[in-house]
Amino acid sequence: MPNEQAPASKPAAKYRSQFRIFVDIMRVIQREGNEAKPTRILYGANLSHDRLVKYLEELKVLGVIQESGSDEKIYGLTQKGVEFLNNFRKVEAFAGAFGFKI
Amino acid sequence: MEFIAFAIAMAVAFQAMKGYTLARERTLLYLNISFLLLGAGLLVDGLANLVVLLSKFHRNFIYLSRVGYTIDFLAQLVAYLILVVVYLQQTRAWSGQFAVAALPIVLLESNPFTELVLIFLLVYISAQTAINYNVSKTRNSLLVFGAFTSLALAHVFFLLFTVMPIFFPFAHISQLFGFLLLLGMLFRVNQAQ
Repeated sequence: MPNEQAPASKPAAKYRSQFRIFVDIMRVIQREGNEAKPTRILYGANLSHDRLVKYLEELKVLGVIQESGSDEKIYGLTQKGVEFLNNFRKVEAFAGAFGFKI
Repeated sequence: MEFIAFAIAMAVAFQAMKGYTLARERTLLYLNISFLLLGAGLLVDGLANLVVLLSKFHRNFIYLSRVGYTIDFLAQLVAYLILVVVYLQQTRAWSGQFAVAALPIVLLESNPFTELVLIFLLVYISAQTAINYNVSKTRNSLLVFGAFTSLALAHVFFLLFTVMPIFFPFAHISQLFGFLLLLGMLFRVNQAQ
């Protein structure tokens, strides 16, 4: 008798937009008390090292995070970054009220 | 009452636009267009009724009330259809067949069936917002569910008004209550830290 059992399907990978990754990185920094080491961000935002370096550079250019520390880099949110996250939280709550995920 | 509802619809549209500018999420753009249309329809209907009222129901101006209603109905129809499509896309049940099925509806003239069409759309949107509340259990989602349920109820009263005039004030109160619930949600969202 042939085995009619369907092969176990892989769970579909959830696509994360660049915008969503930026928000995740900034949220990890905020969660870490605004002083986050790259390794904490890497695990917290679930990113590879190369992508993390790329995104951190882009966020610095946008002026929402700042780098400090000499031996080991430490990242913190700028005032602009804090305001952005506050605004994003409101947008997320607004969209969530209608059942839309952003 | 229509002018208050218009102002609230514009406030929701503005919030959705702010969100779209920040997150570039298309669903927020559709939400913005939907509430802009709702607001525009309410404004036109409100102005038309105001002119008729100010003219002391002069026969030369009576037709404006019908024009206002028709524009308001079409605006609501498109606005709620946009929301339905967005919810259908979210549940991945959307196909082009819905657009084809909706086409003849747009061509209908104003009559009790127009209210039935709006009730049908609003009941679907209410069901989606009820599901969202059941999942998220947040007060904001409860307010949105209450708002659309109240708007659906308003159109049930508008439908009943075609046979019994006593339902006219209930319809307007229910519509205003629905928009006030949306205003409550907006306040809560903007006060949250």
